[in-house]
Formats: sequence, C-alpha cells, structure tokens
Amino acid sequence: MHMADALVAPAVAGTMYACSGAAMGYSMKKVRLENAPEKIPVMGVMGAFVFAAQMINFTIPGTGSSGHLCGGMLLSAVLGPEAGFLSMIGVLLVQCLLFADGGLLALGCNVWNMAFYGCFVGALVIWKHVMKNGMSRKKIIAASILGCMFTLQMGAFSVTLETLASGITELPFGVFVSVMQPIHLAIGLVEGLITAAVLVFIYEARPELLWGYNACGPENAPVGRMSYKRTIAVLAIAAAVTGGLVSLAASSHPDGLEWSMEQVAGTAELEAEGGAYTAAGQIQEATAILPDYAWKSSESVTGTSFSGIFGGAVVIFLSVGVCYMLRFFKGRSVKHE
Amino acid sequence: MNKLQKAVKDIHIVDEGEAGRKGQGMVHPLSRLVVTVWYILLTVSFPKYDLSGLGAMVVYLLVTGIWEEISFKEALGRIWPVLILAGAVGIANPLVDKKVYWESGSLAVTYGMVSMVTLMLKGIFCVMASYLLIMTVGMEGICSSLRSLHVPREFVTILLLMHRYLIVLLKEAERMMQAYRLRAPGQKGIHVKAWGAFAGQLLLRSIDRAQTVYESMLLRGYTGEIIGKRLVAGRWSSLCYAAFWALALAGIRILPVFQIVGSLF
Amino acid sequence: MKDINIEDLTFAYSNKIEVLHHISLVVESGESVGLIGANGAGKSTLLKLLVGLAEGYQGSIALGGLRVEKKNLARIRAKAGYVFQDSESQLFLSTVYEDVAFGPRNYGLAEEEVDGRVMEALRKMHIEDLKDRQIYRMSGGQKKLASIATILSLEPKVMLLDEPSIALDPRNRRTLIHILNEIRETKVIATHDLDMVWDTCERTVLISAGRVRKDGKTREILRDKELLEANGLELPLSMQRL
Repeated sequence: MHMADALVAPAVAGTMYACSGAAMGYSMKKVRLENAPEKIPVMGVMGAFVFAAQMINFTIPGTGSSGHLCGGMLLSAVLGPEAGFLSMIGVLLVQCLLFADGGLLALGCNVWNMAFYGCFVGALVIWKHVMKNGMSRKKIIAASILGCMFTLQMGAFSVTLETLASGITELPFGVFVSVMQPIHLAIGLVEGLITAAVLVFIYEARPELLWGYNACGPENAPVGRMSYKRTIAVLAIAAAVTGGLVSLAASSHPDGLEWSMEQVAGTAELEAEGGAYTAAGQIQEATAILPDYAWKSSESVTGTSFSGIFGGAVVIFLSVGVCYMLRFFKGRSVKHE
Repeated sequence: MNKLQKAVKDIHIVDEGEAGRKGQGMVHPLSRLVVTVWYILLTVSFPKYDLSGLGAMVVYLLVTGIWEEISFKEALGRIWPVLILAGAVGIANPLVDKKVYWESGSLAVTYGMVSMVTLMLKGIFCVMASYLLIMTVGMEGICSSLRSLHVPREFVTILLLMHRYLIVLLKEAERMMQAYRLRAPGQKGIHVKAWGAFAGQLLLRSIDRAQTVYESMLLRGYTGEIIGKRLVAGRWSSLCYAAFWALALAGIRILPVFQIVGSLF
Repeated sequence: MKDINIEDLTFAYSNKIEVLHHISLVVESGESVGLIGANGAGKSTLLKLLVGLAEGYQGSIALGGLRVEKKNLARIRAKAGYVFQDSESQLFLSTVYEDVAFGPRNYGLAEEEVDGRVMEALRKMHIEDLKDRQIYRMSGGQKKLASIATILSLEPKVMLLDEPSIALDPRNRRTLIHILNEIRETKVIATHDLDMVWDTCERTVLISAGRVRKDGKTREILRDKELLEANGLELPLSMQRL
C-alpha cells in the first residue's frame, strides 16, 4: 500500500505532510508527558522488529500464498497508540530510504494511510474500546481482526482519494475503488489473524507488556486520559479536515507547483500540438539567447520530437563526459596532496 | 534469495556506499536532503505529456551518480517495484486517452502512451534521487539533517536505534526461519499453528534487548539525546551546492533543455 | 581505599524470590576480583546492584565512597564501567567510533578530548583498525573488545565485567585475558570461566545460591576440588590436567 513519489502531486503530498506532521506533534507531546525514557529504546527496537517481522512469510491455510502482519496495530498494542505511531513513522522513513518502498514526497501520505489509521483508529478507538472491561484471548483476536480490516479499508480508500486528487491516472473513481477495497478486505483479514496470533502469544507469555493491561486491574488508573467520545470526535474532525483539504486541492489546482509554473512561464499542460514549446519559445525569444528554434520553424510534433531526442542525447553525453573529466582531475588533485 | 536476505543485502550496499565516502563530506547532509526533495518536487510537477522536458531531469542523476561514484547497477533492482506500481496506475491512460500524439506509417503513439511513460519515468527518477541521497549521506546523515530541522531528539534516537537493530533482527529472523525450515521441509512459510509463537518469540527477545540497550545507555550518561559527531562540512560549499542545484533544476523545469540544445544543430 | 564496600546485602526481585542473602564484600582500589559461581548464583544481580540497575535492596552498598541510591547514581555511573554479557546490546550505535564516543560526549567533553579518549580506549584494546567498522560486521570477539572500549573511554575507576569470555574463541579469549591484565583499574569479573579467573584475578569470591561461600586467594580456591564441586563448579581445565 506504499504510495510512490510519482503518484502524488505536490499539493496532495503537502496536505498529507501537514496532517501527518500534526499527528506526530501530538504524539510527541503525549509521549513526553508519559515521561518514560526507557520507552524510547523499546520504540526503536520494536520498529526494527516490525520491519523484520513483515518480511516473514506466514502461510495462509488452504491456499498457496502467504500473508504478513500489520505493523501499526501490533506496535500500538505494545507501545500505545502515540508511541506506536512514532515508531511506525520511523519504519516508513527507513523503508522509503533504504528499500525504496514509498518515497520522501509520499511519506506524508504513507504515514497517514498506514500509521495514522492503524495506530489511532485501530488502537485508540477499536482496541481500547474492546478492552474496556479487561483483556481476554477472544477480545484480542476480535480487536486485531476488526482493527486491521477497518484500518486497512480506510487506508486503501485514502490511497484512492490521494491518487485521484493528484490527477495522474485516467482510471475512473468507481473502478479504482472497486479494485482497491475488496483486495484490502482480504488482506486485512489475513493481517488481522496473524497480528492476533502474535498478540495472543504475548498475552499468554507476558501480558504486562500489552498496552493497557495494567489498567485493567481495579487498583490502577486508566491509561489514556482521552475519553472514547472525545477520541471519536477528534478523529471525525481530522477526517473531515483532511477530506476537505484534499478535495479542495484536487478541484482547484490538481498540482500547485504546476499551477505556479504556469503563472511564471506560461507553460502548463500541452493542450495543442507544440503549444508548450512555442510558449517556452516565447521566453527564449524574450531572453534572446538562442535566435532560432526548430519548433518555431516547423510546427509539427515530429520535428520537435526529433530535435528533443537529439538534444537530449547531446545533453546527456555532455554532462556525463564533463563529469568523468572533472572526476579525473578530482582524483589527480587528491593524489597531489 | 528470500526477502530477509535481500533486505540485509540492501542495507549492506547502503552502508558500504556510505563508508566509502567517509571524510569526503564537503556538503552538509541537509543540503543534499533539501536538493533531493526539491528535485522530487520538480520531477513530479512536470505536465503529464511533457516527456522531453522531464527527460532533462536525468542530468542531475547522472552528474551526482558519476561524481559520487555510485554504482547504478545496484540501483536498478530498486526500480522494479515502482515501475510495476506506476505501470498499474497508469495502465488506464493509453486505453482512455487515445488521441494521436505522433504517427509514422502504421506506428502511432497516443497521448495516453506518452502520459503512461512519463509517469513511469517520474517514478524511476524519484526512486533514483532518494537512492543517491541515502548512498551519499547514509542513515546517520539523514538523522543529523533531521536534528538540524528541529525534529524532536527522541524521534531521531528512535531512528538511530531502529537502523542499528534492523540488521540484527533481520538476521535473527532469518536464523529462525532456517531453523524452522530444517524441521519443516517443504513448507514455504510459517504454518498457522506457529504464527504466534514464531513472531512472538522474536518480539519478546526484541523487548528484552531494548531493556539492556537502555541500561547500557544509562550507564554511559545518556540524558535523552544521542550526540552525533560534529560534521566537518563546509558552510559555503554546502550553501553553494544547494543554491546551484536549486537554480539548475528550476531551469530544467522551466526551459525545454533538450529542445533548445537539439535546435542548435 | 575501598572501591566497593558491601555490608549485609539482601536482595529480592519483585517476584519475592530472594536472590542474594547477607552478602558482605570489600574490594580495595586496584584489586582484580573474580566473582565465580554456577548459573543463577546471583553474580549478575550483584553487579547490577552495584551500578543501581536493580532497585530495592536491604543493607548497604557503596561504590567509590558513594552509597548506591538514586541521588548518587549519576556520580557512581561516572566512576563505574559495566560491560554487559551481550555485546550486541551494549553497542547500540552504528560504528565502533561512534559507540565508544557516546559516553564521553554525554559528559560534555570537547570533541578533541572525546577523540583523544576514544583513540586511547581503542589503543588499549588493540582495535584501532576497527575504528570505522560497522558493528554488525564484526565478529563476537571484536564486539567484546569494542564493548570494553566503550567503557574505557569513560576512564572508570572500577570495571565490572559480566561473563566477558563467553562466546569467544580460544585466541580471542587469550587476547582478552592479556588485555585485562594490562588494565590497571579495579576489576570485578563475574564468570564461570575459572581458567580466566586463574589468569586474571588474584582474589576470588565464590557465590552460591546468593551467599558468599568462600573469599580468598584464587590459587587456593580454584585448587579446592571439593569446594568447587559442592557449589556446582569444576576444577579449571588447567588444574584437571595436572
């Protein structure tokens, strides 16, 4: 479900960065309030664990295929939603940098689609609500499956919205949604089952490690200070704001940077043949560095295309050549020293 | 090679790349991070039919890759996932957008095809830019840039520890998988009965390890932040680097470089 | 000067099982003490109590003249270096240099001084060449030497080593013994590698089931076959051959 950089428009990416950033700020504040410095290394090592665990293939009975566990739910069930969320951001950042899963620009989207729903909706709403009157094996299984399926559906839907808002596909909304949602329903079920199996194991081996386990005892105070109703309200507002911002960005300028480029250079999408090139040519004419243009004399796309291809070859050749030359001298100067 | 082994190999490649560049740090990692983000932003913002304009963005990748002596061969393996993803999302474009862009005899290129290729090329360029970034600054460089950007120190500590124990846990998981496979021949993955115990054991061990790590940090005076080494990067060279690429990339974005050069001949 | 002074120490973990009973022990400055005992005798727990990693003991513990309690912990930890059994957990940063520099940097030393301390610690452990090595690329023996270096860079008065020779091959073990003998600081080595104790410590304290059974010269204790066997240990291999 990782979105790649190429699939998001800057405006959408920026919006989602803002949303994820706000959630991160809130989580950071909560984690600092907890004042549990010993939790920081656990968050780091648990992030690495999720990473490794997601690469283990769990065979799905009756089929030849295999599934993986759901990081957001698992991290939150051990660390709590806020600390789990911070760990998940770390996981996603490392994934995009070290393994090219996702991308720097799409990170805001990916954090929202995978970490936010998994940690805040999955743990803060579903897990916490199910565990309200004490933990049990059955409740852990129910909460894991429900949480994974539900949060994955929300994530998949967000992916659809973000991709469409970015305006990079001709795929109609209905088709996209009808492909994304059912697939992720099945994936969610499998992820939920695997996550449940791991959490039940922890529950039986060392239940005190699970988030909110101590709170179930009568003498302990509840873990979270936020009430269930308030949590729902905050989430609803967050969802509405996000939805609003994304659709706003989509309807007016699918691409903020492109729009501003258009204002600056007068070039936008290529509407008529050679349109952009003549427009760009006008800037050239104004600056008068290069007097004659192929695309000016012959308006045909063929002409411009060929000159483009040829020009491209020259540019690439030159830059590579110059680089190698400079590198040669770089090596020499080092030796001289 | 399974996924766990491949992940370990990927990390080795990055770490080796980083180690090979130790001491060459003329440019602060933050400059490189900023340039990379700027590059990705500009790349993504190209109009969907502007294939030749987008093509010129390859210059940055080539120059950086050759100058920093980074192997493109290793990078190719990272491209496939994004190619498939961009292809899947863009596959509808040639089917819907059938207006002819260029024609020669029976061969016709439609706008939809152009936009699909553009999308895939954008995907490749962005992945390559991130790859060059991590290969030149490494994870520690990223962490020090994040600190300069005032990302909370707790988060940076989490990242550093995650990076450190990633390979330890990957290898541990791989050893467990091997032990499992040796006793369960013919099984491709973990059987449903062992799902919980297999990953659960690894989880418990990870938490215990985190506990020892914390104790080890405390005993050596940890007070909330891992202080990294002072970077010796030149202030001016870093600024110039960022300024040069910011302008050069903006130039490539605005001017159809390939077209202009082609028209010279 | 008494570097370690333990008087009538009794300790139990939260699960109420007593681990240490009425232990009294004094270690003078510059001494090298082998703390021996079978698995679960309470060796590691005793070391952890000395640096305040386990809370809630009865009796009194003092390290470097400071009573082990919350308000003194920072000063005690600056004096005592603790080498964990698991080097993988002790070395939590990516390269050897960074990890060895972690402690000195936390005490606010200037970068030149940090560099000096790091290089000196690496030199003492004979691993200068591993300076920029990624930790996960090192062998178990190299990791052990590096984790001792992370402690040496803090210039501790007292070194506490928990099973330092575990998982080392004979050659690395030999190197470690050689290096430990070069270090002049006060050392307490908790181990069941009796041959190493023979080679590194003049004094030995035998612990069994949380009690001190014998405290005396290494040469005498490690030759006492009956005493060792009664406490779940065996004569050192070098003795068995005789």
